[in-house]
Order: sequence, then structure tokens, then C-alpha cells
Amino acid sequence: MRSQRLTRRSFLQGSAGIVAISILPVPGLAQARQDNTAGIATQRIDGRAKVTGQKVFARDFSAADMGWSGSEWYALYARAITTSRVFSGMSLSLLPPEIAPAKVIYGDDLSSSQRAPLLTGKRDLHLDTRSHFDRPDSYNYDLIVQRGNAADYLGQAVALMLFDSRESYLAAKSAMQFRDSDFQSYGAEAEPKPPVIFSPETLFVRYDHDATSFSYAQESDADYKTNAPFFQSRITDYLESHPDLIQHSFAADMQAMDPMFMEPESGLVWIDGLGNTLRLVLGTQSPDGDIKDIVSMYDSPDAPLHLENVELTSCYPGGGFGGRDSSPFSLMLALCAPYSEGNPVRLSYDRFEQFRVGLKRHACTLSGMVAVKPDQKIMVNQMDFTFDGGGRRNLSPYVAQLAALCSSGSYDIPMANVHAEAVHSTNISGGSQRGFGGPQAYFAIETALDEVASQQGWDPVDFRLKNVVSEGDRTVSGGEINQSLRLEEMLETARAHPVWAERAKIKAAYAAKGQTYGTGVAMSMQAYGTSGDGVVASVTINEAGEVSVASDAVDMGNGSATTLATVVGEVLGRNASSIEMGGYSLFGETGLHTASGGNWDDPMWTAKGVGSSSACLTGLHQVHVVQQAAKALFLTTFLPQAQNAWELDSLKMEQTKWVDGFLTYLPGGKMPLAQSDLAEWNFANMGVSSMLAHGFYQGTWTSGEYDLFGKTRLEIDGLAFTSSLGGGYTVIPRENTIPPQGNPRDGRYVWAPAVNLIGLVVDKTTGLVQVENAVTVLNAGKIHVEPLVSGQAQGGLAMAIGYTLFEDMPPGMSGPANGEWNLNTYHVPRYGDVPLNNGYAEGKRNQELVLLPDNGEASGRGIAEAVMVSIAPAISNALKDACGQRFTSLPITAEKIREGLAQ
Amino acid sequence: MSFPITINGTLHQVDDSLSGTKLLDYLHEVTNLTGTKLCCGIGICRACTVSVRKAGNDYAEPMIACSTPLNLLSGAVITTIEGVAEGDRLSAIQQAFLDNFAFQCGYCAPGFIMASEVFLSWLQTAQVSEAELDGLIENAIGDHICRCTGYIRYYEALRDVAVKTLEAKP
Repeated sequence: MRSQRLTRRSFLQGSAGIVAISILPVPGLAQARQDNTAGIATQRIDGRAKVTGQKVFARDFSAADMGWSGSEWYALYARAITTSRVFSGMSLSLLPPEIAPAKVIYGDDLSSSQRAPLLTGKRDLHLDTRSHFDRPDSYNYDLIVQRGNAADYLGQAVALMLFDSRESYLAAKSAMQFRDSDFQSYGAEAEPKPPVIFSPETLFVRYDHDATSFSYAQESDADYKTNAPFFQSRITDYLESHPDLIQHSFAADMQAMDPMFMEPESGLVWIDGLGNTLRLVLGTQSPDGDIKDIVSMYDSPDAPLHLENVELTSCYPGGGFGGRDSSPFSLMLALCAPYSEGNPVRLSYDRFEQFRVGLKRHACTLSGMVAVKPDQKIMVNQMDFTFDGGGRRNLSPYVAQLAALCSSGSYDIPMANVHAEAVHSTNISGGSQRGFGGPQAYFAIETALDEVASQQGWDPVDFRLKNVVSEGDRTVSGGEINQSLRLEEMLETARAHPVWAERAKIKAAYAAKGQTYGTGVAMSMQAYGTSGDGVVASVTINEAGEVSVASDAVDMGNGSATTLATVVGEVLGRNASSIEMGGYSLFGETGLHTASGGNWDDPMWTAKGVGSSSACLTGLHQVHVVQQAAKALFLTTFLPQAQNAWELDSLKMEQTKWVDGFLTYLPGGKMPLAQSDLAEWNFANMGVSSMLAHGFYQGTWTSGEYDLFGKTRLEIDGLAFTSSLGGGYTVIPRENTIPPQGNPRDGRYVWAPAVNLIGLVVDKTTGLVQVENAVTVLNAGKIHVEPLVSGQAQGGLAMAIGYTLFEDMPPGMSGPANGEWNLNTYHVPRYGDVPLNNGYAEGKRNQELVLLPDNGEASGRGIAEAVMVSIAPAISNALKDACGQRFTSLPITAEKIREGLAQ
Repeated sequence: MSFPITINGTLHQVDDSLSGTKLLDYLHEVTNLTGTKLCCGIGICRACTVSVRKAGNDYAEPMIACSTPLNLLSGAVITTIEGVAEGDRLSAIQQAFLDNFAFQCGYCAPGFIMASEVFLSWLQTAQVSEAELDGLIENAIGDHICRCTGYIRYYEALRDVAVKTLEAKP
């Protein structure tokens, strides 16, 4: 039987009526052990459940575990093996009748809204021009190919097979696996389809020279489009009129990469016909978008049923890295629901299927040119990126956008002409992936600059130092940088590290052993967050003072659950002992709305509810809103109780401090008060028990004044409370709103810079590379939970090594689209591939994370992507140093190295 | 006809019709023990590692559950991740992995724990020196795949427990 779990509801307006949405936490998840050290995490809050094998992942649950009635059915999708011929249908005669599917659903059996649901707009960099649905017909591809049509991409579903028993499912799957052509029929050659570029394309033209300043961010949309060609030609004129410029042209290409998160996508779905409730069990990074898209599937007159409720149990994903952000998996799961005769359905990919259809990091080809003055000042950056978006648009154009935004790297380059596009192809769909375009961009700029330095005989660190961007400068899009970057400090820290400072000596030591060693440096300035981020969280206390947190964030392993449970400790004197993640429907309880055409004059309006959960949103965004909610709770509970207990006329939060679970009065002369006593008194006085807060960040946080026993300004745009008497949330109106100060056209507002040093050996005979030393100098801002930060750096290094040296995925049916790929074909880094000595010691394989000294920065930075995006160029630069050869085609395999050295 | 398999101390009589069933499927579908994880399903990643003491052996060995059919396990004593803790008390390696923040998403953690448990159990009676530990640890967990962590915290935690295990030996 399913235990009672607190449900949170919000509502979506469909064309057929209101649909109630509920998000449930993982059933039966044990709470963390109480940690008495407020603000310090001694273990992951979800850790105990994971080390004891409790059910926390979507794959762990059965319909019986969920208390759903009926027998579990099993779904299996047949996948397109060609796009050049028309699909006729399945040929299942080779299957014995006893293992044949109970149902076969084709694309033409589906309603239009099921087959090609209108997906919610994925907005980025254009928050001010958003519309709700943004997908033209030219790439409105069917979830299941209709008979008589050709597939639009390899791996596109051509049929849904539903089995009414596990035995028949397993037997049929076994019979059909690796034999697609025996079970699928294709007919005539299909007409070739016109090429499609996924909208929007990105063009950043920046001209900041000769007392003229032009950029995307500084102009209106109309003026920018009108004048960009003029400034492109001025850049060309500049290049032609300055023959002293060192003009270095370059090209690079990167393969597609699989996130290879450890838990293949899996989920359960059931339509509880009694209330037309769709129930789902999923591990997703984007519960908000997934739910909206699923509702859209059933939101048309010809939909097989009318939904009144959607209930999602949001599980911890077994890894994500962006691969579960807006994944089509949730749609494929929801598609199964109406056809199982009222029974629950399980859709569980195995690893072959996951490789075949899971979202990928895009393959990319790029070319460019940097122009540098003899005094080492970089003057021009020109780049052109083409991302292979694969079949579905997904987030591809925004990945391309961010690549363009990262293309000038960490440097103040006054003139830039950067174009980026994502194109449809018949390959596996690309999507959000750790770095979101950053890896490709930083590889381009950091290898190009390294090559210039090498050719000119310049010190690569000095060259970078002469060009670094600073607070007050502008990015390639013209966006203002209003954040301390500390890039010079980071480069000097790297320069002083023995891996760099003693690189000649280290190289000689390896040479004495007959080994070829090289050292490379690279730098990045990865933005975290998007062009506008909405975040929601609640913080609750009980009579005993125990704290619980709920957040829309999803913890895919990055540790956001632990971080958010810990950061309340410094505000409330105690870490949270339980936390609910993935609670996107919390937003519905704030009373706020995001209606198109609204503005900040409306105290109930905000620019964005919530978005997909990215690991890089924890350090600043998620922590901020949780702490603001905790602060509001403190101000309305513990503070008035303390004032009363201390018999003071007034008491401010700044006059108090928590010490070992006791609230102390900083001016002195008052007995410390136990947090549990304060909580008990609060409840005895029927005080507040929970605060729910929403925040919107766009360069700065929206702020407002809230009546919390006196007007208090908080950096949130929505606040609601519950009292110890129970009941739902009551809104505390926002007054005197200060909107966010960022320019939406800036695109990004906060950065987590990193400098990477790589020392490696390369065997010139075999081409094999081994990383010997890896140093990351990281600007992470305020550190909330250090082991989680260093863990991200360690994992990022391993993933980057794989991306750069091993992970290779050819397009077309030579690659995983053929359904035959697994870990015997796709090689991810193993234990032996990474240096394991934590720190630096001569003679060992070392990796070290160097965090910048605390300079009082109030907030953390989102570092999950920053820790890996410039490792690939550092490896290429190290190889150049080792063997004199530049490698710009990723992965830099042993074969490519042998070929390169043979030239 | 049936054959016996003991899982976490519970004796199961497995019908012969299930003799070809993979251990992982049996754990998930029959015993509802889902702590042992499916990742690659072809025996490479080792996320599905369990501890097995085969009939007639006095030692346990790590075994991948995704590729081992039940008919090879007649009479075996199997421990899965759910059988490691004693009530509320975690094993040394479970606690060490927690204290060291050794895992992130945690999906591979059961496999690492079971391989480590077998290794540490062997270490209690093996004649080895601390200098040999790094190589032995690599043998024990070096083939396990983790996508999140970069392995270093798993290594540090296991090494710490291994050193203490050596030190505790008489």
C-alpha cells in the first residue's frame, strides 16, 4: 500500500479545462540522520538510502510498489532503421503467437496531439520575446512515424508494442533485438526532405573600437538586425587595413557524446480511469516541462481521454548531466497510457536502447579566425559553429547560442563576428549536456590562442593575462560583466603551481624514463543559470524544531538536496533533516502568475515560474531562495519568541547568532535559547510553521517588501506562509517591487571561471595518452559543502578525459542508432584513466582542485559545468607541448595521434 | 523440481523453470530487491555486483548479477546490498562511502559496496602489506564504472577502511 505522502498541487489550463498537477516525493524514502552541526554537511542527505539499496530511482519501482491496481504491462518501441524509405508497418509473423504483443500502436493510430504534441517553448536568451509554443511545422516531428511516411531521423519510433506479461515482453525483445530489419517493413524510396536549421540561429557581432560601440545587448532587436552587416564589414575592413595583425585561422570538430548516466531511463505510467488521473513515476531533470508537454498530449478534442489530474512521483535520477532535461522519454512513457486496458505500463530502456535514442552532446564542426596585434592584444574573434541537432529540435539552438556566447572565452576581444546554428539531421537527437555548448566553444578559443602563443614564442599564461576580461567589461554579446571574476589571480595561481612552474623539470624526468610528457593550460568562463531563472522553495519547522525543505530542484547526483538541507542551518540553527526535491508544483501554491503581457507592477506577477533543473543552478539560485524562505521563517518564528524570552523591546536578526543549536544575543547579557525551545514556544503561540518563497534572477534578484511583523525587504518576488494551525499557504503580498536590473539581451549574468592545467604522457608508437597531472583552479564563490564541490571537479575531470580521448560515436547506422552499442563499444573513463592522488606529490599521478581563497563573496557559484569545459583544450595544448602536433578533432584517439605523428 | 539459493539469509527454492533466469531479474522481479542495479546488462560496468559464496566454497566472490543465470548458483549464499547493514548499523565501507561523499547519483554505489565488502572480507585473513594495497584495490574495484565521481573518493574511502582492516589484524 502506498503510504500517505504530502501532495502539492498546481493547475494547468488546458483547452479542455483545468488539469490538476500533483508532485509526490519518492515513497518511503528514509530521512537523513539528524546532523547537529548547523551549516555543515557530514554526509549526503540521500546517502543512507543509497548505500543500503533503498528504492529511490524510477527503475526501482513497480506498479505494486506504488499501490496501483492492475497487472503491469510492458512497452517496447520499434525504432526506425532508415530515413530514406517509407515505413509500411511491423512484420511480427516471426514471433510465436504466445509472445506476440497484445497491442501494436502506430503513429497513424494516434490523435494529432499525441502524435505531435505542442511542446512548451524552451526559452533562453530571448526572455523578452517569448511565446508559449514555438515549434513550426517544418520540424514538428511525430513521436511515432505514421505508416506511409519516412522517418525523420534514425531511432524515431515506428511502432509501440505493448505486452501484457513480462515473459512475453522479454521473449519478444530477445527475439527482435539486433534484428530490426526482420521485423520492420519499408516500401518505396522517400522524397528527400529539405534541410532544416532549428530556430533561432545566433549571430553575435560586436564592434567596440574607434569610439564606436555596437553589440547585440546594446541595441534594440530591430537596430541590431539592421546594423549588424555594416559592422561585419567594418571588422573586415579593420582586418584588411592592419597587415601587422597575426591572423590565425583554425578549424575543429567534435563528435557526439553520450551522457552515459548510469541509470537507463525508466518509468511507470497508469491512467486511473476513475478520476481520469494520469499517474507517472519518473526520474527527470525537467518535471515542469515534462508535465506541461504531457498535458498537451491529451489536450485536443480527438485525444483518447480527457485528463483531469496528473500525478508525478519525481524520483532521484541515476545521473543526468543534461541528458534527462526535456528528454522525449517522458512523452514516450505517457503515450503508452491509454492502450493498456486500464493496466499500468512500464517503459524501461536497456543500455542498448539508451544509446540508441537518449539525448546526446552535439557533434559540432567549427571554423574561425583570431587576429592578434604584435603586442599580444587579441583584436578580433570570428567563429562559425554548426551543431548537429539530430532529429528533434529539443534545446539544440540554445546550446548553439551559448557556444556563441562562450566563443570569446575569458577575454576582452573588442571585435567579434560569431555565428552558431543547430541543424536537423537524421542522427540521434542532441540536447542539453554538461557545458551546454561551452565545451565546443572553449576548445576552439583555447586551442587557437595556444597555437598563436606557440607560433609566436609567447608565454601562454602571459598572453592570456594581457587579454582577460574584467568586471565592467562586456562579453561577445555585449552583455555587461557585473561580477568579480578574479581571472588574473587564477592565472597567477596556476602559473605558480608546480605542475606549471616545474613543467620543464617534470618533462625532463619523464624523458629520462623514455616517456614523452607535455603540459597544457586552458581557461574558461562558463556562465551558470540562463537569461532569467525562476526558483521556488519552502522551509518548514515542526514543534520540535526539526526543519524540512522542499524545492523544485532535482538532485541527479550533484548534491543539491544535501546543499539545500545544509544551508538552512546557518539561518535556523539546524540543518534540514528531510527534503523533497523536484517539487515543481510548489510554484502553484505561491499565488504568482506568469501571464503573457504582465509586468512587475502587478505584485502577483513574475517573469518565470520554474525551469529545468541544472546542476549549475544550486550554488547561487536554489540556495538563495531556500535561504530567503528560511530567513522569512526565522523573522516570524524564532526572532519574536527570542525577543519575548529576552524581554527586549526590539530585536533584529543581526543581533543574534546561532552557536551549537542555541540562539545567542550578540550584545551579551542574555541566556542562549535552545532552538527546540524556540520552536516549541512558537507552536504554543500558534505561530508560523512554513514559508514558501519564489525568486526570479536576471542579473539581480527581484526584491519586494513583505509584512513580517514589520516591513522587511527580501530578495524574492513571492512569499506565502502556513501556520501551526494547519491549512494551505496564505500569500503575503509583495510591495514596493524592485525588478531585476539585468538586461535580458545580455543573455547571461554570472560566471564560474576555471583554469585547468594538464600534464600528460603520450606514447608516440601506440598513440596512447595518460593524464598524469590535473589541476583545476576554480572560482566557486562561497563554498556551501566542500566535498560536493570537489566531487564535481573530480567527476568533471573524468568526464572531460573521456570526451577528449575516448568517447567516440559515429553518426548514422555505424553508430548507436543501429541499436547495437553498449559499453563494449563506447568507452568511458575507468579508474585507471584518472590520476588518483588528491593533491600534488612528485612521482604520483595527481589531481588537485585549488579553490580561490574566500574573499567574502556572499553567494556560491554554479560550478558543475565550469569544472570540465576547458579540460579538453588543456589536453590538446599538452599534446602540442609533448609532441609538437596540434590535434583539433575530438576525440583525440590513439589512432589520430599515430596518424598525426606520422605526417 | 527446484534448487536452493540463499539470498540475504533467506532460503529460496527456485523452480527449475527459472534456471535460465538471470540473477538480477530474479532479485528484481521475484524478491523485489532492487538495490542491485542494471546499467549495461552485459557484464561490463559491474553496477550489478553481488557477493556470492558458491556451494562448497568457504569464501565469497564478487559476481555480476546481470549475466549470471540462476542455474550456476544452486546452493550458493548470496548477499546483496540490502543484506549488508545489520539493522540500523552500517558496515564499515557503507559508512566510509557516506563519510567520504564517495558517490554522487549513487546508482553504481551498491556494486562498489559489494565488491569492497568481498575485498575487505578477504583482506582480514590475507597476508598483504599496506604497500600492496593500491594494486589490490585496483583489482577489487578498478573495473567498476562510475560516471559521476571520477573514482577518487571511492578509492580514498576503501583505502582508508583497508588500512584500518590491516591495522586491526592481530
